[in-house]
Amino acid sequence: MHFPTILLIALIILTALLIAVFIARPAMTATRAGKILEFVALFLLPLLCMAMGFTSELERSKTTSFCLSCHIMESHGRSLYVDEPGFLAAAHFQNHRVPADEACYTCHTNYAMFGGFRAKMHGLKHVYVQYLGKPPAPEAIKLYDSYNNRECLHCHEARSFEEGAVHTADPGLLAAVKANKMSCLSSGCHQVVHNVGELGKAKFWKGAQ
Amino acid sequence: MVALERRLQLAGKLLIAGLLVEAICLLWSRPFAFILLVGLGGFLCAAGIAVYLYSLVSARDLNPKPMQ
Repeated sequence: MHFPTILLIALIILTALLIAVFIARPAMTATRAGKILEFVALFLLPLLCMAMGFTSELERSKTTSFCLSCHIMESHGRSLYVDEPGFLAAAHFQNHRVPADEACYTCHTNYAMFGGFRAKMHGLKHVYVQYLGKPPAPEAIKLYDSYNNRECLHCHEARSFEEGAVHTADPGLLAAVKANKMSCLSSGCHQVVHNVGELGKAKFWKGAQ
Repeated sequence: MVALERRLQLAGKLLIAGLLVEAICLLWSRPFAFILLVGLGGFLCAAGIAVYLYSLVSARDLNPKPMQ
C-alpha cells in the first residue's frame, strides 16, 4: 500500500473516532469550543476525506494494474508482453513509449477537452457491462468509438514522424492522417494492436515473468 | 434528548458509515471499489453532511428563545 493511502486511512479513522465522540456525548456541543470542534468533525474533516479519497481512487483508476484487475482484461494484459515488435501495444509498453504503470490509460484516454472525463465514463460503462450486461469474449472486445488518430499524434506528431520516409512517400498521406481521414490503425499500416485472438501462438518477452 | 442532538447523532452515524465504506474501498483496489466509493461512500457522507447542516439551520426552530 502506498504511503499517502496509509495517511488517508489514518485521517479517516481519526475523523470517525472524533465523530463517535460527538455521537456518544452530544451535550459537548453546548459550549463554543464544542461547536467549533463539531463543525470540524462533522463537516470539514469528512469533506477533506471525501475529496482526498476520490482523488486517490481517480489516480489509481489510471494504473495498468487497476485496468488488468478485471478477469476479462487478462489477455489484453498478456498482449503487452508479446515478443514481437509488430504488436503495437506490446512495443509501446515494453519500450516505455507509454508509462508502463499507466499504459492502458495513456492510449485509451481522449486527448481533447473533457477527455479524462469521457475515459472515466467509458470505465463506468465497462463496469456496467461486466456486472449487469453480457461481457463479450476477450477477443471480441471492441472500442466504443473508432480510435482517433489524435491519440497517436498526441505523442507522435513530431519531426521524426513528419519527415519519416513512409509518412512522406505519398504527399497526401500526412494530411489525411492528421485530419483523421486515414486511420493509423485500420488502414493496414499499424493494424496489429492487442490481437488477443492470436496470443496462443505468440512468444512472450521474459519481462512477463 | 433534544431533537437537535438526535439529528447530530444521525449525521454522525451516516458520516461514520460513509467513511468506513471509503476506507474499505481504498484498501480494495478493484474497479467495483471505485463505484462503491463514489456511489455508496459519497452518498452516505453527503447525506451526513446535509443532515448536519440542516440540524444547524433548524436549531433555532427546535430551541426557540423564551418570550421576553
